Amino acid sequence: MIWLSWRQQRTETLITAALLAALTALLVPAGVHLASFYDQQGIAHCIGRQTAACNQAIANFGGRAGFVRSLVAGGWLNLAPGLIGVALAAPLVLDLENGTIRLAWTQSVSRNRWLGTKLSVTLVTALAAGAAFSLLFTFYDGPLDRVYGPFDNFGFEGVVPLAYVVFALALTFVVGVLWRRTAPAVIVGFAAYVGARLFVQDWLRQRFAAPLSATWAPHASGPRLDRAWVLAQVPSDKAGHPFTGGAAVLQTCARSFGKGVKGLDPHCLMRHGAGYNHAVWQPASRFWEFQGIETALFGGVALLLLAFASLWLRHRAA
Amino acid sequence: MSAALETVGLGKRYGSFWALQDCNLEIPAGSVTALVGPNGAGKTTLLHLSVGLSEPSAGSVRVLGANPPEVLPRVGFVAQEHPLYRSFTIAEILRLGRELNPSWDEDAARARIGSLGLPLRKKVGALSGGQRAQVALTLALAKRPELLLLDEPVASLDPLARREFLQSLMEAVAETGMTVLLSSHIVADLERVCDHLVILASGRTQLAGPIEEILATHRLLTGPRSEAADVARVHEVVRQRHTERQTTLLVRANGHVYDSSWELHELDLEEIVLGYLDSGARHAREGVAS
Repeated sequence: MIWLSWRQQRTETLITAALLAALTALLVPAGVHLASFYDQQGIAHCIGRQTAACNQAIANFGGRAGFVRSLVAGGWLNLAPGLIGVALAAPLVLDLENGTIRLAWTQSVSRNRWLGTKLSVTLVTALAAGAAFSLLFTFYDGPLDRVYGPFDNFGFEGVVPLAYVVFALALTFVVGVLWRRTAPAVIVGFAAYVGARLFVQDWLRQRFAAPLSATWAPHASGPRLDRAWVLAQVPSDKAGHPFTGGAAVLQTCARSFGKGVKGLDPHCLMRHGAGYNHAVWQPASRFWEFQGIETALFGGVALLLLAFASLWLRHRAA
Repeated sequence: MSAALETVGLGKRYGSFWALQDCNLEIPAGSVTALVGPNGAGKTTLLHLSVGLSEPSAGSVRVLGANPPEVLPRVGFVAQEHPLYRSFTIAEILRLGRELNPSWDEDAARARIGSLGLPLRKKVGALSGGQRAQVALTLALAKRPELLLLDEPVASLDPLARREFLQSLMEAVAETGMTVLLSSHIVADLERVCDHLVILASGRTQLAGPIEEILATHRLLTGPRSEAADVARVHEVVRQRHTERQTTLLVRANGHVYDSSWELHELDLEEIVLGYLDSGARHAREGVAS
């Protein structure tokens, strides 16, 4: 039975392996390069320091990292866990579409055992692929995370990629069980995966815990936000209300400082509801807490979907 | 003979549509039974209920004295269109059978594939329809089933492949003495292979019995229309057709038909089956069957 499950998802496992191999070929050299640049510039020594030399070193590093990232095409790789999950769910749906489920379910093995083995093998593959994905990015992003904080690469690291893969798998499986067609299941499953990821990434994740905030005067040093996930950093009044005055206020407060030098009068700005800085952020120290919440969210929904699909499949006609 | 498969008031409903209704059947052990009926008559539904692929909405089905899901190790099933994993080689299909069936007979399976002249390394997707059907049959037979159920095993095959398939099925039956129930909407060829017949139409059993008996009791009567009612009092009229001059009755005779005003014709199995299907279809159209 285990052999059969492996054999059925052989193609999809190879596709997954090929995808991970391509990522390895891309990320390992890039990661090695960034790590050596990081060492060479002595960045470790500079984290949290504000000397001119350090600022320059970090700026150099940022420039190099930006160049490497542009080559690696970072954001699109968010789709990879979804692709892997969808691909691994496909053999289960193909079984339904092609009627081969009637072959499998009329041998001597019970439906429960068949379903249990099949799901286990698929899930183990999915989790292994998610773990490989996470390890690759953790290596590649390591130096960047130390400088800019881990939130930049939240969806690529830690345990969430495992939950993403299982989530995409479960979505495709549910649609496939209800619809019994592979192409629509794959398309709908993947689209729902992308939708859910975007929703959580752009709206929900920042609300996992109440963010920290601070308001500080122009020449005060303010909080250290280098490694934080900064949700907003805007001009504000003293109480932290964001500046809403617009261009009219800027015109009012424009002053001439000698010949041809123009600028804004800070006292004027303060009178008009600006002149202070206000920031809202999630500190880097919350990274693992957020990882836990998001993993529980995607993983939990995935398990519910899988449970529903399994029950549905068990009691439905083949 | 005891029943290898027995249904009591068996029914299956999909939404408001009864695919099978009030089906009472006994398939005797050791028989080779043809289950005939038009497409949509409920043949597949009956077979799926018998192997636990679906669950009854009404009544019950007992297979080899047990409930369908538990009895699977003792039952061979070849589903419609012989579904097989197309990317598998024949050897892998055999491995599937070996891993999923404790009673698997590897030697017999290999011998059968060998006698078909099929290389084990060949992919299922590269086989002809007839060869695929044979591989599916091999998979079901190597399980050494006491009861073999086949859903439209020859429907998609050309006449030659159909003949070869039924031939190898017959050889297997002769060797093992297993009970066979096979569904078909093609009546030709079945008479040589089967000894029992079940006619299913519009979700109901129309006729069931040994083929010999069916052939012996069914007659076509041609005679005066005025006396048709008299015939119907003694015999079971399956179908009647009237023209101005005469009436043609397909009857299931209750004893002999003596009346000299009727002309008697013997019927072959196909004509009898068509008579029942014709009448079943008319009942369905008139809403009698539902």
